[in-house]
Amino acid sequence: MATKAIPTKGADWADDEDLDDTVDALPQGTTTTNKDGTKTIVTWRFNDDGKKVKTTRRIRFTTHKEVVNPRVAERKQWGKFGLSAKDAAGPTADTTSVGENIIFRPSSNWRKDSKEEKTEAGSMKEKLEGKKVKCRICNGEHFTARCPFKDTMTPVGEEGAADPAAGPADSVADAAGGLGKGKSSYVAPHLRGDGAGAGAGDRMGGGKYERDDLATLRVTNVSEMAEEQELRDMFERFGRVTRVFLAKDRETGLAKGFAFISFQERTDAAKACEKMDGYGFKHLILRVEFAKKAAA
Amino acid sequence: MRPILLQGHERALTQIRYNRDGDLIFSTAKDQHVCAWYAHNGERLGTYHGHQGALWTVDVDPTSTIIATGAADNTVKLWDIKSGKCLKTWDFDTAVKRVEFAEDGSRLLAVTEKRMGFLGTIVVLDINLDVNAEQSSEKSLVITCEESKATVAGWSCLNKYIIAGHEDGSVSKYNAKTGEQIDNVQIHELDQLITDIQWSQDRTYFITASKDKSAKIVNVQDLEIMKTYTTDTPLNSACITPKKDFVILGGGQDAMGVTQTSARQGKFEARFYHKIFEEEIGRVRGHFGPLNTVAVDPQGRGYASGGEDGYVRVHQFDKGYFDFTYEVERQAKAAQQQHL
Repeated sequence: MATKAIPTKGADWADDEDLDDTVDALPQGTTTTNKDGTKTIVTWRFNDDGKKVKTTRRIRFTTHKEVVNPRVAERKQWGKFGLSAKDAAGPTADTTSVGENIIFRPSSNWRKDSKEEKTEAGSMKEKLEGKKVKCRICNGEHFTARCPFKDTMTPVGEEGAADPAAGPADSVADAAGGLGKGKSSYVAPHLRGDGAGAGAGDRMGGGKYERDDLATLRVTNVSEMAEEQELRDMFERFGRVTRVFLAKDRETGLAKGFAFISFQERTDAAKACEKMDGYGFKHLILRVEFAKKAAA
Repeated sequence: MRPILLQGHERALTQIRYNRDGDLIFSTAKDQHVCAWYAHNGERLGTYHGHQGALWTVDVDPTSTIIATGAADNTVKLWDIKSGKCLKTWDFDTAVKRVEFAEDGSRLLAVTEKRMGFLGTIVVLDINLDVNAEQSSEKSLVITCEESKATVAGWSCLNKYIIAGHEDGSVSKYNAKTGEQIDNVQIHELDQLITDIQWSQDRTYFITASKDKSAKIVNVQDLEIMKTYTTDTPLNSACITPKKDFVILGGGQDAMGVTQTSARQGKFEARFYHKIFEEEIGRVRGHFGPLNTVAVDPQGRGYASGGEDGYVRVHQFDKGYFDFTYEVERQAKAAQQQHL
């Protein structure tokens, strides 16, 4: 019965404090082998305040054999000298650190790829560059708010498409129409009419997130041994893959069994979804479907 | 790949060298000591103290027993790698900008600066590779550069020639026995300083890096330009990778202009070009100052770069690097296999 199942090996977390009070000597460290091949090592020590500290580490041991040149092996045994004379074996933190991971994939069209990135970022600026400020009342080269005729004339072609270069404050006020009479009253984006307001709202909410969701595939039943790179290679056949996410266990580094693949084009994603659903990969049958939108 | 950052220097790096087995890295900077590192984990083996000025250059002999350094205190020093002891000091009239051991380690060349009325020279010293032996104080050969001072120099295959890169962008070939100038060819744009020369594995050709924003592969036989790699930034260093047909170029905005530009604009990246197709295939970011020196593991497993920012970044190449081939290369390989 469940109620009778009292933990036999090791102490429960709730008992930790009791142990601290009653036992003066440090408990024996334990090493247990887990089912997934990792080892859990528990060690105890006193910290600076004289309090007991329990350290639990989960470690995976992998044996990696390497044939080393005897000259190199001999040099590894050399003693340190100079400023490093007092350092312990192994790299010390003050001189050696590990940088962030760099993805370096040589590619013959490297220059082209980076150029595309650049143009995407610069495109908005370029679009707006050619546009001139145009008043909606008199078509003069100034903002509508600055128009000398703004109190005396109504804008030409009220419901015409708003010019993106025109001042945003004006378009909001105009689109508000019946809702707010005064120019200064605020209208929430979703209450705005179908004019410039709606356009602006779309741009804000949608944009890349929307596009991303549409062309993202959810891949399930992925092998534990899978790597992001392998998935990328598999899916790149169908089109340009913008993002690959493979859920991994933080401790063991093994894949959790699902992944998300984002394509640039939805058509590519659809093709990949059709072709890759049911594909055998590392002894498992992949299930591929379009990712559902995250709950709002 | 995850680079290892080595913070052994307080000032800008000037040169990095791997030993022949590729397990040790030696770095010099404008502070006054040399650092020796294990390449596989970035552990510091030790430091060599004794110079009184900025260190410009270091080289390690082919047997990995001694290193030679050249510094702004007008000396060349010889050190025992294992113990860190200074074995010998040679005094010169001006700063030493470059040292290099001959292929067999029996000789060492040193390039001295043109300054205070002294002309730039290339000096050859005889070296005894035994740590306990007495080193000769004699200069076995002195080549004086009357026209344009040499900035870098090295030994060609079988120590037959000394190749020097000059301040005016030309490359000279000297007879390594007599010191007689055999050839001088304008490789780079006029008056654009050659900043680095590094050798191919067999030393029959070399790569030059220049302030004229290009790097060139030149053969020793007739100083003919084989390949040109054009970039958009002044180059400080270039090397040829073994195992794969790539070259690595390092450079960036001049140290003086660094504060006026962002890291992105400064182009502080190591650039990889395909050696044969002269096409850029990728860049590695990380430094926040120009790259002063790049060095590649002679075993082809990785490379290290040193920047004006005082860091050495050691990179181990990963699978993507070794797998990368051009379509034509794959086809050629397939055709070859079919033929067999």
